[in-house]
Amino acid sequence: MKVTFPHMGNAWIVIQTLFESLNVEVVVPPFNSKRTLNLGTKLSPESACLPLKLNLGNYLEAANAGADTIVITGGIGPCRFGYYGEVERQILRDAGYNYEVVTLEPPDGSLAGLAKRIRFLAGRKNSWAKILKAMRFAYLKSVALDRVEDLIHAARPRLPHPLHTEKLYESAKQRLAQTMTEKGVQDTVRWVQETIQERQEGLNSMAEGINKPLRIGIVGEIYTILDPFSSVGIEEELGRLGVEVDRSIYLSGWVGSHIFRGIAPGYRSIRSYPRHAKPFLPHFVGGHGLETVGATVKFAREGYDGIIQVFPLSCMPEIVAASVLPKVQETYKIPIMTLIVDEHTGHAGIQTRLEAYVDLLERPRLLRESIQTREGVLGVGG
Amino acid sequence: MRIGFPRALYYFDHFPFWAGFFHRLGIEVVTSPATHRQIMEQGLKKASDETCLPLKLLAGHIQALKDVDWIFLPRIVSVEADTYTCPKFLGIPESLLPAVPPGMPVLTVTLNWRKGKRQVLKDLEVLGAQLSQDKADIRKAFNEGLEWQQRYQDTMGAGWNFEESIREIERAAKDLTESAKVPTLVTWKERMFAKMSSTALKPTAELPIVDQNRDRLRIALVGHSYLTHESYANLNLLRKLREKANVELVQNVNQEEVETNLSGLRKKLFWSHSKQIFGAGNKFAEDQSVEGIIYLTCFGCGTDSMVQELVSRRAREQHKPYMVITLDEHSGEAGLVTRLEAFLDMVERRRVHEGYVSTYGECLDRDSNAL
Repeated sequence: MKVTFPHMGNAWIVIQTLFESLNVEVVVPPFNSKRTLNLGTKLSPESACLPLKLNLGNYLEAANAGADTIVITGGIGPCRFGYYGEVERQILRDAGYNYEVVTLEPPDGSLAGLAKRIRFLAGRKNSWAKILKAMRFAYLKSVALDRVEDLIHAARPRLPHPLHTEKLYESAKQRLAQTMTEKGVQDTVRWVQETIQERQEGLNSMAEGINKPLRIGIVGEIYTILDPFSSVGIEEELGRLGVEVDRSIYLSGWVGSHIFRGIAPGYRSIRSYPRHAKPFLPHFVGGHGLETVGATVKFAREGYDGIIQVFPLSCMPEIVAASVLPKVQETYKIPIMTLIVDEHTGHAGIQTRLEAYVDLLERPRLLRESIQTREGVLGVGG
Repeated sequence: MRIGFPRALYYFDHFPFWAGFFHRLGIEVVTSPATHRQIMEQGLKKASDETCLPLKLLAGHIQALKDVDWIFLPRIVSVEADTYTCPKFLGIPESLLPAVPPGMPVLTVTLNWRKGKRQVLKDLEVLGAQLSQDKADIRKAFNEGLEWQQRYQDTMGAGWNFEESIREIERAAKDLTESAKVPTLVTWKERMFAKMSSTALKPTAELPIVDQNRDRLRIALVGHSYLTHESYANLNLLRKLREKANVELVQNVNQEEVETNLSGLRKKLFWSHSKQIFGAGNKFAEDQSVEGIIYLTCFGCGTDSMVQELVSRRAREQHKPYMVITLDEHSGEAGLVTRLEAFLDMVERRRVHEGYVSTYGECLDRDSNAL
């Protein structure tokens, strides 16, 4: 049995670790690329959302590497993602791929069924204690990854050479992927911290790097905000424009709430979002629609300069959130931009919109001495 | 007191319940007029761009409600155990507040049958408190609503006409003088009995009765109720289809039949509408007397993007002619008519030439929906 799984940003590091510590053979599919998307789009229903198309592309590419079993998480909706496993299974079967699809969820609410599926994946040799230990370690790694990502978010606008920062990020990811001890994980995080500190100390003039960058909160559908390929590298792009970004959901936060059912909070817990969202949307709407609204309110209260919502075309929960957000924008006087991505999204288009948006946010800073205020910005933003 | 009930979305499935509920409470229910061009245009202006046609229509209908004290926008989370409605239903009323005329109060209630009848009653009592009704009355009204809904559900099945049934319910809802009276709907069983007895009475000795319906095509139309019965948005598709063929609808398939036709799925569908659509679609695909299936969907429908794929696979396995019609606010009538005619022609020709299709041709067509 060779297990594979769909990509979602840095999730591959965590999933690979989990299976490797259980001695299960795992195939990491080639990273998301134009080719992945093209392969996936050919098989997908045309109006399916972007993550499904990328998932299918991942499976096809992993099949070339000999993978025969797919692991994916599930859920009972009402977001479409909950039904991905079954639809993907049927599509792959008809396309002639002999994949076994294992959906990690309690089937019809039965925990015994979930245990059976985990047992199927882990094989007979692993004890439950070992499985739990592996899960704990993978979780620790995901928290460390999020910590590194957050450091990079802060470093991008402040350090002078964008390319060096990206290189640091890449090598940190490599180190995290390879290390199999808790100490190694901690050391990597410390190493990133120290490297950033060193580089910042080396700066002597104000011209290099920005001390107080603009802050933008990124909210939206989890796949598109965690996976840089699907959002055309929006975080990196903003970093290069001198903006510090923060995100509503981090990988471990999602793992903590979705897989561990809130037993572990994750790097940035998503627990407080429903409370923040309450005045605008008092009920969950599936997916992370409620979290999007909650995070927007939270970012606005924390004094962020702007919010960008990202979601794949026709995403149901995010459409609900998007129709509520204008009210948040009005209440907190914070400009919110919505970016919708699909397989036709081009880099240049997104880049233009981001540049225009950042210009818009910078204006009140430049005009602070004059009478210009935030309300003026909103007038421009509509 | 007058409550405005927009004629869109949940109107098509759940209006009888609410009509009965408010009727018992002595509250008049006012529905917006049938969709027309202005309603659609108003809806497009106020609803968010990304959302789907049915929600845009709902936004239009909200604005079309005049002279009412409240606009009623329930949040229908779930209508049966283990399922949800579409996520966009869960965001009502918040996502539609921009469409509500300023100053107009919105009445809402969260209905979640997943949590059981007791919870539903509790939530309805909260609604009742807003309308200053006491708990006992709410309980009675709830039962009355269920009775109306059941009565309405019973009319579905063979020979069901949505417009007739719903008109009857609307008439009963308006008439507040006749307190606590269930609308006089003819259930489909009664219709059948009436038909059978009338044919039995006829003299059968002389001429054999020619069943005119026998030669007509039998086409199944599957899709959300708020599309198949929204005759403005679907450009009168149902009527056009009925002129040329006998039409089977999702609503004609009862709940038990749906459940038995859900096989082949490793995981239960968790949307109530989709479950119905897939169950019915599966049944029609296997039913040899149904000669073609038309799937009516709208642009950007999330649940349909998955279920349409599943139904199309079933139709392909059974070699059943299958067509998807996607509606949006730009749908043009000429395009629809052309496609419909072509589809019906194909089905008809297939009936004639069925025996003459060569294996060569079959192979050519292996991956398409055409055969």
